Amino acid sequence: MTQTETAAKKTAPRKTVVAKAKAGSDVTTTSEPIKAVKPAAKKKSGQAFPFTAIVGQEEMKLSLILNIIDPRIGGVLVMGHRGTGKSTTVRALAEVLPFIERVEGDTYNRTIDQYIEGEEAKKGRKAIDPASLKTEKIPVPVVDLPLGATEDRVCGTIDIEQALTSGVKAFEPGLLAQANRGFLYIDEVNLLDDHLVDVLLDVAASGLNVVEREGISIRHPARFVLVGSGNPEEGELRPQLLDRFGLHARIITILDVAKRVDIVKRRREYDEDPDAFMKKYNREQQKLQKKIQTAKDLLPAVSMDDSVLTDIAKLCMNLGIDGHRGELTIARTAFAHAAFLGETVVTMKHVKEIASLCLRHRLRKDPLETLDAGEKIDRELAKLLGEAEAV
Amino acid sequence: MIAFTDIVGMDLAKQALMLLAVDSELGGVVIPSAVGSGKSTLARAFADILPPGTPFVELPLNVTEDRLIGGVDLEATLATGVRVVQHGVLSKAHGGVLYVDSISLLDSSAVSHIMDAISRGEVLVEREGLSEVHPAKFMLVGTYDPTDGEVRMGLLDRIGIIVPFTAQNDYRARKKIVNIVLGTRDEEDTRDELNMLAGFIKAAREQLPHVSITDEQIRALIQTAISLGVEGNRVDIFTVRAAIASAALAQRSDVEEEDMKQAIKLVLIPRATRMPEREAESNEAPPQEEPPQQDEPESEDEEAPSDTPDAEAEEEQKETPDMIEELMMDAITMELPDNILNISLASKKKTTTGSRGEALNFKRGRFVRAQPGDMRSGKVALIPTLISAAPWQETRRRDSKMAGRPKTALLITKDDVKIKRFRDKSGTLFIFMVDASGSMALNRMRQAKGAVASLLQNAYVHRDQVALISFRGKQAQVLLPPSQSVDRAKRELDVLPTGGGTPLASALYLGWETAKQARTKGITQVMFVLITDGRGNIGLQATFDPTAEKASKEDLEKEVEALSLSIQADGVAAIVIDTQMNYLSRGEAPKLAQKLGGRYFYLPNAKAEQIVEAAMSF
Repeated sequence: MTQTETAAKKTAPRKTVVAKAKAGSDVTTTSEPIKAVKPAAKKKSGQAFPFTAIVGQEEMKLSLILNIIDPRIGGVLVMGHRGTGKSTTVRALAEVLPFIERVEGDTYNRTIDQYIEGEEAKKGRKAIDPASLKTEKIPVPVVDLPLGATEDRVCGTIDIEQALTSGVKAFEPGLLAQANRGFLYIDEVNLLDDHLVDVLLDVAASGLNVVEREGISIRHPARFVLVGSGNPEEGELRPQLLDRFGLHARIITILDVAKRVDIVKRRREYDEDPDAFMKKYNREQQKLQKKIQTAKDLLPAVSMDDSVLTDIAKLCMNLGIDGHRGELTIARTAFAHAAFLGETVVTMKHVKEIASLCLRHRLRKDPLETLDAGEKIDRELAKLLGEAEAV
Repeated sequence: MIAFTDIVGMDLAKQALMLLAVDSELGGVVIPSAVGSGKSTLARAFADILPPGTPFVELPLNVTEDRLIGGVDLEATLATGVRVVQHGVLSKAHGGVLYVDSISLLDSSAVSHIMDAISRGEVLVEREGLSEVHPAKFMLVGTYDPTDGEVRMGLLDRIGIIVPFTAQNDYRARKKIVNIVLGTRDEEDTRDELNMLAGFIKAAREQLPHVSITDEQIRALIQTAISLGVEGNRVDIFTVRAAIASAALAQRSDVEEEDMKQAIKLVLIPRATRMPEREAESNEAPPQEEPPQQDEPESEDEEAPSDTPDAEAEEEQKETPDMIEELMMDAITMELPDNILNISLASKKKTTTGSRGEALNFKRGRFVRAQPGDMRSGKVALIPTLISAAPWQETRRRDSKMAGRPKTALLITKDDVKIKRFRDKSGTLFIFMVDASGSMALNRMRQAKGAVASLLQNAYVHRDQVALISFRGKQAQVLLPPSQSVDRAKRELDVLPTGGGTPLASALYLGWETAKQARTKGITQVMFVLITDGRGNIGLQATFDPTAEKASKEDLEKEVEALSLSIQADGVAAIVIDTQMNYLSRGEAPKLAQKLGGRYFYLPNAKAEQIVEAAMSF
């Protein structure tokens, strides 16, 4: 099932309201009347460039994939040169995502347990029999948060239409609701308005979105993988927000001529006939999707030796990283990386490959430091490994 | 109305627009040009050569977010009881042209929205309870006068063609212009010419899918992009498209050398951050023309091994077939002024937030949008508040809590309150660091003071803040903390004593600290103006510990270099004004400028206006 269909299904009840309202009015306006609901319209826009057809930028691709395998890693921040395919890659992600199960038509993408918990918490609701609930499978949602979004659309607000037509106060969920259990993507995240950043920080910390307005009080789960991209030259990211991202991928202009020729040719091919192009990559897309799903299934079986954990902790300590988010992120990411490679035991080999992704943005800034963060991490790691080998 | 064909001169701009008319996927054309050169007339006449009925939307500079993106049409919504959407300017331009005059003056949030629309080909409206996607695939045509400032690099990156800066027309052309404006030209001629041109374009559009380009040609274009130090990979796609469009215009089915030259000229050269060897020698290339890759010297190492670029790129550069080099040099010399480096957009100092020093606030500036907020924290936007209260009146009346109110009263709750959000130039902080060491006394303290005075004057006009740091003896000292009082800065400068060592590192460190503090107070942009010969001889260690041993020359250099790089990485802009006598210089100051990623001026040569301009245009 495509995302479009699901979205349409999910929003079906609202559509009728609109239709009724339309029938009741004979005023014609030049503007188009609003279409029922959101994500349906969103997916309508042309096909995304296939993920597997993107040349190079492995660091970014790996970070995204690891976050699908384990959403607890905490998201990715992709920073780098202009015109290097940052947003293309993130938008392409939607096509290789696995499926999740949710209560049929639930706007918040909740599982049965979450649904019951949430609904029973409401005033005056009786217990719900789990057997009465149907579920459906939907692809992990990817929600795009544009820079111009207003707070009410992000958090959700009162449905103005219902208020106007029937005088009923109904809550209309926002982007945070749609992103629950999925991905929330912000392009040019470093340019995001401060008040939206505050909202995101709040929600990301608690996993809950709380809306109090017009006498309506709503709390709903909003756990999502935050993905941001931007160009560091355009502006700085707030440190608190920076800290929220599990991984930090850096991307630079590809200087390999052969690769660049390949990029141009693929792009031209895609522009000429997107459908044929998609078809060409269909098999690879499915293969990757399957590989990710397999890794997700394998993840609980992956284990890590205590000695590896010790090394990770040592690494963070030697680098002088504050707090424990560094160790945690490395551990989780290494687990996911092992699972992605189809291995069940995490070794320092896995850690090595993802350490700079996890730690780059957590190093303390030293005014006299000339070393690039990545190199510093690698150097510490090498020292540590040398030490480990000697013992 | 002056037709496209009537416009005299600006040939490159015309060629650029014709390419765009042939292939709208080129994204747009940006035309920098002096005042009164007819750039906006040309841009508006662009509609002449597009298929009839193509939308042409002009974007006013003071556009609000609502108008740009779209929002609820309240009148219609209240009348119908159904949310009615008003499309924004971006989606109105769908399938046509969005024209922005003085695009460099557009405020940075508008620029961000335009960038976003271009990269998606649509506008996401997530506002005021609306959630919609409006198609917004348009060609962006922007004109501006470079003396007003530069266009944000992020935006330029998404636009295919940048016309190299156009010089003034010669006298023959001027005469022709006068004739046209006075209406002495035959209208019929005009119409014929226009029809012919439109026919050409139509034929070229049809030809477009039949043009082919070889892999070697693609490779040559990419190689050129790399040797010009152009950032990003998106530009390759534009270059190839431009070459193909050029071939289509000539009704050819194969891309030829001249098409490639045209593409290099209109797409790559304006983005060049360095010029190939041969050219670089000719005029004293300012040091900031370093390839952007060097900003992050270490970053390559994290890439997959196959990507380890610099060495590889260098190698490839050497391997560059003569053909490419010839091609490039031809394209560069053809019709372009000699001092191309000075006008290359990318070589200008990059800014951190696009248009200089703008920030959103609740107090003053240009009204951008109304947003929910506390009544006490800003100015209440009355109309938006009433508007947001309007739909609820019915419901609230029924609400028991408000039952006691008089029937006629408007029921407004605190949720309705919208406060105004403004965008204001928050100003830039200029930190002047004046070397007052003994060596300076020999040099040109008086001249340096003159240059600083004119900068200060300018800072005053722009309501920027200034700070003054002097360094001599063991350490640097803040003579004037960030302030708007230009007079005080001048006074401090006048009585500045000189003599002693040159604690350059200490000055940089202190300047950086000052910059950081200023950031927490809402200053978004900081610029160092360093007036020095660049010969630091006192290390940071000595500043803190007078008994410390004298640092070696290498250590001193390393210290300054490390600090400079971090300062640059922190987004602080810089200008270095070299005061050293020519015959004594060992190039310390240019090196400092390079490490800071800033511009370099040699004081005896530099005119005060030049320095001011450099400081103001970052």
